[in-house]
Amino acid sequence: MNWRALFARQEFIILLVLIALCAVIAIINPTAFLSVQNLFRILRACIVIGIFALGTLMVLISGGIDVSFPAIAITALYISTRIIVDTGIDSVPLAFLLGALIGLGLGLINGVFIGIFRLPTLIVTLGTLNLFRGALLFFVGSERIRLSEVTTNLADASRLNLITVPLARGEASLHFTFALLIALALLVWFILSRTMLGRAIYAIGGDREAAERAGFNIVRTQFFIYGFVGLLAGIGGIVFGILSREADPFSIVGTELDVIAAVVLGGALITGGRGTVIGTLLGVLLITVISSNLVLLGIPTEWQRFVIGVLIIIGVGIPALQALRKRRLRVQTA
Amino acid sequence: MLRRLLIAALLLSGILGVVGLAMAQDATPGALFNVTNEYTMATVVKVTGIAWFDRMEQGIGWFGQDFPSVTAFQQGPAEADAAQQVQVIEDLIAQGVDSLCVIPFQPETVEPVLQRAREAGIVVITHESSAQQNIDFDIEAFDNAAFGRNLMDNLAARMGGEGEYTVFVGSLTSKTHNEWVDSAIAHQIATYPNMTLVGDKNESFDDPQVAYERMQELLVQFPNLRGVQGSASTDVAGVGQAVEEAGLQDEIVVVGTSLPSIARDLIPTGAVDMISFWDPAYAGYACNMIALTMLEGQMPASLLDGSGLPPFLSFGFPNLPGYGSMSLVDGKVFYGSAWVEVTAENLADYAF
Repeated sequence: MNWRALFARQEFIILLVLIALCAVIAIINPTAFLSVQNLFRILRACIVIGIFALGTLMVLISGGIDVSFPAIAITALYISTRIIVDTGIDSVPLAFLLGALIGLGLGLINGVFIGIFRLPTLIVTLGTLNLFRGALLFFVGSERIRLSEVTTNLADASRLNLITVPLARGEASLHFTFALLIALALLVWFILSRTMLGRAIYAIGGDREAAERAGFNIVRTQFFIYGFVGLLAGIGGIVFGILSREADPFSIVGTELDVIAAVVLGGALITGGRGTVIGTLLGVLLITVISSNLVLLGIPTEWQRFVIGVLIIIGVGIPALQALRKRRLRVQTA
Repeated sequence: MLRRLLIAALLLSGILGVVGLAMAQDATPGALFNVTNEYTMATVVKVTGIAWFDRMEQGIGWFGQDFPSVTAFQQGPAEADAAQQVQVIEDLIAQGVDSLCVIPFQPETVEPVLQRAREAGIVVITHESSAQQNIDFDIEAFDNAAFGRNLMDNLAARMGGEGEYTVFVGSLTSKTHNEWVDSAIAHQIATYPNMTLVGDKNESFDDPQVAYERMQELLVQFPNLRGVQGSASTDVAGVGQAVEEAGLQDEIVVVGTSLPSIARDLIPTGAVDMISFWDPAYAGYACNMIALTMLEGQMPASLLDGSGLPPFLSFGFPNLPGYGSMSLVDGKVFYGSAWVEVTAENLADYAF
């Protein structure tokens, strides 16, 4: 791969932006930014948004968009918590299993509308976003559950760390669910790049009709995509609950745009057919560094939204410009 | 004559009442005077089924025990919803209750229905709604400025009166939060010169996650931070979690308004040092006590017409912790001094 090809890849550009941003922050506020404490803080903030982003990546590659995953996540978290409280089986693996199953079930509902009825993905998931959340609040409950009030093991999971580093004042630790993010990233990478299913997902997003003619089963693939995204969302919901130590039915919803932004910044095309796990993780890291570190530069919170907005426009704009230039070249040569 | 004696007794016992503050927990406050008339007295809460208002219902229960001729009960919508609360009040008016104690979800939304209640001759008392118009009286657990100063005193005592501290509010527009924090800061400047406020007021939007993330930033931004005062009930939960994860429970003092059910896991470890709130059981009791005083015609006339009132009038219920001595402001709003302080020592006494 030559330099030109490297620069044409958005993953490489986003890496450069990330390095440049970190360098600027590190120069201005080195003691605060370049600390173990801050590194672990950034990585921890990546966990939930990262898990959601992996699902979103898969949907974007297939040419769709899913905005319902936050509702799936909070529904999975809340119902799982209620089941655990009501049955008294206070188990962390059970929480993850329940969360994954509820997420899968809700995701398959999206799959039915999208795969069988062939409705536009944005419309369907906008609908189910409100449907799932409304049903949760109306039928299940709207009361915030503080995990330590009703569980022991689940509440203690928030204190389970991969690494703890003693500091001059206090300590810094990295939560065990970070390993889960890495494992899920590897799984999604494997599916996308090492299986026929992954080929099918790229193919549908590239050109649906061509994929159909090539013999890919589109309905089955879409069922897999939306079911799997639901499953990831369910797991992400449980992780969110453990990290935040509570199940609050009003949380998570509202994070969808940051997640989609991270994936798009990471090089996934909103029109489908392109996107990588590594790019997505870089996009998540970039969004997280912006939203949690600009304050170290003394930049007020409102400006963080502004900077994220600018980056998204640039992130989406660069590939669009490249596509435009290619088309012009083709027209000229024709 | 009898009435004048009673009022004199009320005033005297109001002064003594402060002494009675340190009363045992879950005992009924005890009837102040005998009531033989039968009344139906309703309390309408914002929402049923949450720990806060379950606790208030306990206080309503004590009230019923203390006054056997009174039928006292609590009702509320199943969801915190202004329209549903109005409906509950409408139904109670139709049933012909004698008094209504309302904790409005949206003060302006209940104004018309409270007006109808008063037109129907029902005594209307509100709680947590000091700007309400169509009421006989409103009762507030405490004066916000005094509450804020008390939090600062607790923070300062645990910080040894020196070091950097910061404050959290739900939002810059949350009226009560900012009153607590502003009076606390003014009190610090006047009383604890070796303490320094760092950063602006931090907004948590009543979300523990936001408080948590902001506190993590503050720990990086201000490495010498030694104290935090929270305002929203969820502030200390988020802040305390960040402190605990940073292993700084012994270095950083966290105090604030909260409830044991929100901060219970963080208090024993020292991640949160002290929380303060008011006990809804006593607030509910006090609400009904004022209503009963009105129904029995025992309310001092000077309080009713607002003529020539002294700025602070000692009037109250001696056996009701925090409401022994109350001040009346603008002729409408009673302020008690009914805050409760919870630390690791007395945490187990509170289930809500």
